[in-house]
Amino acid sequence: MTALVEEPVAVRTTGAALLELRELVVEYGSGPRRVRAVDGVDLEIRAGEILGLAGESGCGKTTVANAAMQILRPPARLVSGSVRFRGDDLVGKSAEELRRFRWRNVSMVFQSAMNALNPVMRVGDQFVDAMRAHERIDRRRALRRAGELLELVGIDRRRLRAYPHELSGGMRQRVIIAMALSLNPELLILDEPTTALDVVVQREILQQVEALKRDFGFAVLFITHDLSLLLEFTDRIAIMYAGEIVEEAPAERLAATAQHPYTQGLLQSFPPLHGPRSRMTGIPGSPPDLRDPPSGCRFHPRCPHCVPERAGLYLRQTAERPVLREVAPGHRVACHLVEEGLA
Amino acid sequence: MSALEVRDLSKRFPVGGALRRSHVHAVEDVSFELRPGTITALVGESGSGKSTVARLLARLYDPTSGAVLFGGDDVARARRRRDVLRYRSQVQIIFQDPFGSLNPVKTIRHHVERPLRIHRIVPREQVEERAHELLRAVGLVPPEEVAAKYPHELSGGQRQRVAIARALAVEPKIVLADEPISMLDVSIRIGILNLMLKLKAERGIAFLYVTHDLASARYVADEILVMYAGQIVERGPVEQVLAEPLHPYTRLLLAAVPDPARKAGRIEPRKGLASAAVDPPEGCRFVGRCPIAIDVCSRVTPPLVEAKPGQAARCHVTAPST
Amino acid sequence: MSQLDPTIELSLAAPPRRALRGRLRVPGWVALLVRNRKSRTGLLMVAFMVVVALIAPLISVAHPNDFNLLAARQAPSWHHLFGTTDQGSDIFSQVVLGARRSLLLGAAAGALATGLAAVLGITAAYSGGLVDEGVNFLTNVFLTIPPIPLLVVVSGYLKDRGMGTMILVLALVLWAFEARILRGQALSLKNRDFIQAAKASGESTPRIVFGELMPNMISRIAAAFVLVFYIALLTDAGLEFLGLGDMTKTSWGVTLYWAQTNSTVLQGEWWPFVFPGLALAFTVLGLVLLLAGIDEVSNPRLRTDRAPRRRLFATLVGGRFAAARAEASA
Repeated sequence: MTALVEEPVAVRTTGAALLELRELVVEYGSGPRRVRAVDGVDLEIRAGEILGLAGESGCGKTTVANAAMQILRPPARLVSGSVRFRGDDLVGKSAEELRRFRWRNVSMVFQSAMNALNPVMRVGDQFVDAMRAHERIDRRRALRRAGELLELVGIDRRRLRAYPHELSGGMRQRVIIAMALSLNPELLILDEPTTALDVVVQREILQQVEALKRDFGFAVLFITHDLSLLLEFTDRIAIMYAGEIVEEAPAERLAATAQHPYTQGLLQSFPPLHGPRSRMTGIPGSPPDLRDPPSGCRFHPRCPHCVPERAGLYLRQTAERPVLREVAPGHRVACHLVEEGLA
Repeated sequence: MSALEVRDLSKRFPVGGALRRSHVHAVEDVSFELRPGTITALVGESGSGKSTVARLLARLYDPTSGAVLFGGDDVARARRRRDVLRYRSQVQIIFQDPFGSLNPVKTIRHHVERPLRIHRIVPREQVEERAHELLRAVGLVPPEEVAAKYPHELSGGQRQRVAIARALAVEPKIVLADEPISMLDVSIRIGILNLMLKLKAERGIAFLYVTHDLASARYVADEILVMYAGQIVERGPVEQVLAEPLHPYTRLLLAAVPDPARKAGRIEPRKGLASAAVDPPEGCRFVGRCPIAIDVCSRVTPPLVEAKPGQAARCHVTAPST
Repeated sequence: MSQLDPTIELSLAAPPRRALRGRLRVPGWVALLVRNRKSRTGLLMVAFMVVVALIAPLISVAHPNDFNLLAARQAPSWHHLFGTTDQGSDIFSQVVLGARRSLLLGAAAGALATGLAAVLGITAAYSGGLVDEGVNFLTNVFLTIPPIPLLVVVSGYLKDRGMGTMILVLALVLWAFEARILRGQALSLKNRDFIQAAKASGESTPRIVFGELMPNMISRIAAAFVLVFYIALLTDAGLEFLGLGDMTKTSWGVTLYWAQTNSTVLQGEWWPFVFPGLALAFTVLGLVLLLAGIDEVSNPRLRTDRAPRRRLFATLVGGRFAAARAEASA
C-alpha cells in the first residue's frame, strides 16, 4: 500500500483508539542503580485527537514517547506492558517490521530536533533520505513531496536547496515537522517541539500543526512541560509525575476542575496575563529522585493535603500507591484524597 | 530618586570576515532608570539585546557609547580597580543557567564566602556565620549542610538560590536577574519569583528582571521595558502597558503568549526576526512585521515618545512625536 | 510549607548524595583513571619504572661505568642480567640507574613546560587584549623554532650540559605547543557563567586564573604534563644517542651511544642496544597509554568501553553526570 495517499484515510474517525499503552513499565540501568522511569502507565490516543502529556523534568514523558516508538536504547528497557497500534502489539516485533511502522504509521519530532539536521547536507536531500529509509520511492517523487510539505509548513520550496544553518531555528523546526509528516503518518509525536523558540514563532508553528491536522486528520501526542500551551492547543491532557499518570481530563475541564493536588499546584505555577494579580504558591520541594521514590503516593512529600493529623488517610498516602479512577466522564485521577471524597 | 540611570546605552559587536567592517547593533540607544525597591522587567525575545543590556550593566562588557550613571558617576568610564570594585559591590548579576553559574569544583561555601572576603563585608571571623545567614535568607536550610555541598549535589532551584545568596552577599543596591527561572522546572519557578519579591520588599533592592516571559514579568514587575532588535520599543507601568499596549510588537507578544483563558488565539505570521540586525538601515526595525506601518516608518527611526502619562512607545503611528 | 515563605527543607529537595570516596573531586578523578583500562595499564607501567628508579642504587653495582675488561662483551647471564658493554660495564646497572635520570628529567621538564604553558596560556585567554597578543606572539616565536636543531646547537655551545640545562632547554622548546592548547580550552571556559559571575563579584585576574579556571582544566593540564614528559624523554635520549649529551652520566641514551659507536651490533651483541631501548620504549608506552586514558576519561565520546563499564563510570563519578543527565532529559 502506498503511503503517499493525500486524502485522509477513511479509518481516521475520532473515537477509535490508535495507540494504546497498557501498564507500561520502563527501567534504566540495573542492580541498585535501577530507575523506573515509567511505572505502570495506561494511555490511549484516539484517531484524530490532540493529546497533551505534561510533566516536569524526570517525570518520564519522553521515555513514554520513546517506548511508543519502540526506540528505547540500552540502558533503557521495556520491562513489562504493551504498546498496541491499532490493536497490534509492537513489543517483540522485528526490526524490519518496526522500520516500516515508524515514520509511516507514527512519526516523532524529538526535543531539539532542529539541531539534529545534518549540517553538511542540503535540506532536500535529508528529506529524501528520511523518506527512502522507510518507503520505496524514487528521488524525484520524494523531492516533489518534500517541496509540497515545505509549502504546507509555510516555507518557500526553493529552500530545499538550503543548508540547515541558513535557516532560522523556527524554520528548521518546521522542516523537521514537515519531514515527520512526509509519509502521511496517522500519529505525530511532538516532544517539546517549541521549547527553544520564541513565543511568536512558537504560536506560528503550533497554528501550522493545527491546520495540517485539520487537513490530514492525523492524531498528535504533544509532550511538554508548558501546561499553558496544552490548555490552549489540545483536546485532552494527561499529567505525569514521577513516572506515573496522576490525572487525565479534557482540556477545557482541566483548568477549571483539576482534582489532583499536583495538577492544581502546576496550574498555580503559571501566573495569569489578565485578571487580578495575586500571590501564587507553586509547589514546594522538587520532583523526586526516581532511584528512591517516596513510598505510597509519590507526590505525598509535597502535597498540602498529606498531614499526619489525618491518620487514616496519611497511612494510605504514605503506603499505598493510588490508582487512576474515573471521577467524571473522561476525567480520571489517581489520588487517595479524591477517592476518600468519592466514598 | 534612582538607583541606576542608563542613558543612550549602545553596544555594537563587529562581525564578518577579516576586515570586520559590519556590526551587529545588539543594543541601541537604551535609556531607563532603576529605582530602589522596585522590579523592572526587561522583556524581549532571543537576540533582542536584553541579556546584553544586563551584562553591560554588570560591566561584563564595555559599551560602545552611552552612560551608566551610578551615584552620579558614569561607571562605564571607570577604569581604576578601586572604582570598579566599588561598583561591583553594589551591583550584582544572576545568570540563567543554574548549572553553569556555579563552579563545579568548588563548594557552595566557597561561592557565598568569596564576595564577602573580596569586599570585606564583615571581618574574617564572621564570614562563615554571615554565609550561613545568607543561605537562610534564600531558604536553604540547614545552611551548614548546604554550604558543604558541591553544585552537582543540588537541584536546579537550589542552585539558583545559591546564586541569589552569592549576589546578596555584598548587600547590593541593584540586582540584575538574567532569565533566572527559564531553565527551572515549572513548579519551582514561582518560589524564586516570590523570593525576589520578598528581597525587594525587605531590602529595598532595585531588580532588573530580564525575561522573554510576559506572564512572569507581570507577576513580579512594577515597570516593564519591551525590547525589539536592540531598542526599547515601549515602557511603562506593567499593568498599564499590558492592558493597553501602544507598540504593535507589544500587542503581537501579548497575542502570542499562551493564555489558558483564551482557546487557541491566532496571530498572522509575518517575516522578520526579533534579533538585532547587522548594520540596520534607518527606519523602524519592526516595519517588516507591522500591521499598521505607514510610509514614514521605513524612512525615519521613531523616537521613544511618551504618548500616555508614564507610558512611552517608539512608534510613528501610536506615539507620534509632534 | 507554602511557597509564600520560600524555605526549602534540604532533605525534601536534595537528591541523595552518592560520593563514594569522599567529597573531593580529585580522588574521584584518580579512581576514574584506575578504572579506565588504558590509563590503568599506563599508570602501572610508569609506576613500575618509578619503583625501579627508586631502588636502583640497591640493585646495581657501585660504579656502573667501571671498566672491567675481563668481563667485557658478555651476553646476559645470572651474573650480569643484561650483559656487559665492550668495556665491561654492567648494562643492567646502567639501565636501572639510567631510569633515574630519564624520569627525573622528563618529570622536571614536563612540570616546567606545563607550568609555563598553563600560566601564560590561561592568563592570555582570560585577559584578552594586549596580554593575549603578547603571549600569542611569544608562543608563535617559540613554535617556529625547530626543537632538535635548536637543542643540537645549544648543546654544542653550552659548556655545561648538566641535567639542569637540559631541563631548561627542553621546557623552553616544548611549552609553546601546550600553551596554545590550554589557551584554547581556557577561551571556551572563559565565557561560562561561573567565570563571569566571579568577575562580577570582583575577583582579581590571578585569582580567577588560578582559583577558578585552572581547577576546571586539570585533566587537560595533566595530559599536557604527560605529553611533555615523554617527548622530553625521547628528545633527551635522542640527543645523547647523537653524542650531544653529558657523556659522564649514566643514562639510556648514553648507553645506546656507546653501543652504537662500538659497533656492537656488527659484532652480534644485541644486549647493549635492546635493553636500554626496551626500557625507553616501555616507559614511553606507559606514558602514552596514560595519556590516552586521560583523554578518554575527560572526553566521554572517545570511550571505547562497552555499556557495562559506562554504568560503572556513572556510579563512581557519583551525582554529577547522572544528575545533569537527569535534568537534561524530560
